Amino acid sequence: MNTNLKISNVTKIYPGCVANDNISLEFNSGKIYALLGENGAGKSTLVKILSGVIIPDEGKIYLNENNLKLNSPLDAKKNDIGMVFQHFNLFETLSVFENLIIDSDEQRESVREKIDAIMKKYNFSVDLDIPVLNLSAGQKQKVEIIRCLIRSPKVLIMDEPTSVLTEQETSELFLSLKKFSDEGILIIYITHKLKEVMQLCDEVAVMRRGKLVSVSEIKNENIESLANKMVGQNLKTIKKKKAKTSSDQLIKITNLNFTSEDPFETNLMDINFSVNRGECLGIAGISGNGQSELFQVLSGEIISEKNSIEFNNNYIGDLSPQERREYLMAFSPEDRLEQAAIPQMKIFENVALNNFKSSNFFNNGLINENKIKEHSKKIISDFNVNTDNIELKSQFLSGGNLQKLIIGRELITSPDLLICFNPTWGLDVGAINYIHETLIKINEQNKSIILISTDTDELLKLSDKISVIHKGKLSKIMNSEEVTSEKLGILMGGAN
Amino acid sequence: MIIDINFIGLIIASIMASAVPLILASCGELITERSGVLNLGVEGMMIIGAISGFALMTVTGSLIIAIFGAMLAGVLISTIFAFLTQTLITNHVATGLALTIFGIGISAMIGKNFVGIPGKEFPVLFEGLKDTIPLLGPILFGHSIVFYFAFALPFITSYFLKKTKIGLIVRAVGDSPESASNQGINVRLVRYACILYGGAMSGLAGAYLSMIYTPQWIENMTGGRGWIALALVVFSTWNPIKILIGAMIFGGLTIIQFHMQAIGVRIPVQFLTALPYIVTIIVLVVISRDSRKIRLSTPSSLGKSFHKDN
Repeated sequence: MNTNLKISNVTKIYPGCVANDNISLEFNSGKIYALLGENGAGKSTLVKILSGVIIPDEGKIYLNENNLKLNSPLDAKKNDIGMVFQHFNLFETLSVFENLIIDSDEQRESVREKIDAIMKKYNFSVDLDIPVLNLSAGQKQKVEIIRCLIRSPKVLIMDEPTSVLTEQETSELFLSLKKFSDEGILIIYITHKLKEVMQLCDEVAVMRRGKLVSVSEIKNENIESLANKMVGQNLKTIKKKKAKTSSDQLIKITNLNFTSEDPFETNLMDINFSVNRGECLGIAGISGNGQSELFQVLSGEIISEKNSIEFNNNYIGDLSPQERREYLMAFSPEDRLEQAAIPQMKIFENVALNNFKSSNFFNNGLINENKIKEHSKKIISDFNVNTDNIELKSQFLSGGNLQKLIIGRELITSPDLLICFNPTWGLDVGAINYIHETLIKINEQNKSIILISTDTDELLKLSDKISVIHKGKLSKIMNSEEVTSEKLGILMGGAN
Repeated sequence: MIIDINFIGLIIASIMASAVPLILASCGELITERSGVLNLGVEGMMIIGAISGFALMTVTGSLIIAIFGAMLAGVLISTIFAFLTQTLITNHVATGLALTIFGIGISAMIGKNFVGIPGKEFPVLFEGLKDTIPLLGPILFGHSIVFYFAFALPFITSYFLKKTKIGLIVRAVGDSPESASNQGINVRLVRYACILYGGAMSGLAGAYLSMIYTPQWIENMTGGRGWIALALVVFSTWNPIKILIGAMIFGGLTIIQFHMQAIGVRIPVQFLTALPYIVTIIVLVVISRDSRKIRLSTPSSLGKSFHKDN
């Protein structure tokens, strides 16, 4: 049976921002549709309207000519619209099965049979009786998909589904989506990754700043044309020049171990590596394999043995992050709003958190506001942060601007080593480009980088050497020229 | 010295009786907290229940009206808390503390006219069976209906949370109100219901104190039991069965230290009085050490306001 979904003149206005400006789109089953746009383009708002989470100010939704009243997620479900959210909507402490039955009115046994049938049909394997927090991101997503499939949806919306998946998991997901599409489910695929659109979809709608920019068939597009539509200007492609090989060792990690008391953390086992001046060491891996523990050990959030970390001929394994900063290390953690900045504090206050003895931010225990503000203004202009109001609370900065501010805060003291963890996670193309350029510039100034990232493209682009972390162990360190993303994928999966 | 075996039975029964208000209030608060709401007003709701029960009993003469009236009073005062924290999105901790202060104050005011009035005798069940079995007879028989309800409650609560649909929804809301809301669950409604239920159980716990345990009204007669109930919930890691264990230890040590003081054991009174508090917490911490289980049973959103943005 054919499914036709029509969005007609949908508008949603937030204070100071038009998230969706008079959007009209039409979808038919049998095809996979991409909804493409940068962060903040309004794609998530649009699909949240389709799934009943957000109520539009104006406009109508029609499913097979029926005008739908979507006032709650329940209404969307009743009308056979299923949605897999970007940030999983799962209950971490409940079991997989409990997560799946929570919105079902049927008997537990009959739901279990249904789930088993779905898993068999699509070749999913998830243990139903363990808590969700023990699952990998890919498995969590399968749980979300199964939850939609139980209701045999007509429409399935996927919001940035691959941001947490490995290459292997991504290709599995694409196979499943194609299968769903063949079975007559209308698929709407939201992403800002161009490669995926080209690979998976039949038609693409591009959004920019709340407006629909274009609707076209994939066969008439290529990556460059889509990128330009998405960003609204021509993007320059950046490439790293081959670094001059230096043998001047900056940091050396020897026999580093970390055993966590928290059973949900990963233990680090026998980590050994070194980074020379001017070099970028990339550390790849599927998230949850010890990256965050490694970052914390390197940054001093977790203290280790004094001799396990040698930096600039000093043993610093037992120093705190602040003390390590004094030795000219800098850190950009993964979670911008939780770890790198305090969301409720103003920009200049966040800048003051990086307090160096030399920066004179404090006089006899009093805050030297002028000094800090001056310093903040310099960061904002040097690092292209798109605001001129340093009194703004940092939670109101977009992800890209916040990341620029954080990187800027770390770099303004010109540290010898920057350790960053997923620095471009969730950012749009423009911001990613800027961050990448900045990182390349650091290496050109003969400073070093340790780049822990789950984005293999980024690692291949920026690193001189690459290693893969799997279950808390590092693979051997390879020169990035001899590595391909396929090879990384295999190592990330745990094979040798 | 020969100790009558039935005397030991009586001591155990008195320990159980002193555990009743703790079990009731804790199991109520446990449901509230499992939905992600931290209500520190247990002491206040309990004392409101105590004065309401006693006053209604004195005025109407009906025990049934008094018991249900006390529960209703608990519901009403917790409605204030629910309205403030869920509708006006105030801070849970501050609102809960205010509730306790309010409860203690207003109960003292209403209670002025009821000081010194003798309570009524509350009917007990299975009185005749008390002497049929040695030791167990006095433990099992001859108690009020509230007593039996209290000892069934941890098991009912456990079953409710693990096996029923509504229990699952309560846990889901406590785990992630955002996800629950996106799944079409009315988070505010669930939390209101859980807060009101907690209020009813605290009210009942208070009524048990003023109508059954020591049938009279004394100002501030809950004497910190509401705070102990709160501590039991946390230190039991939100497990109703462990609440039962904790309440028994606390009740047991309270009774035993009374006897020790009476016999004249040479330990400072202050230490004896403090003993139940310290030992209960130590025991609960020791039996709840499994960090994996703690992670799984702690409501992740506890005490955090949820505001559905549109």
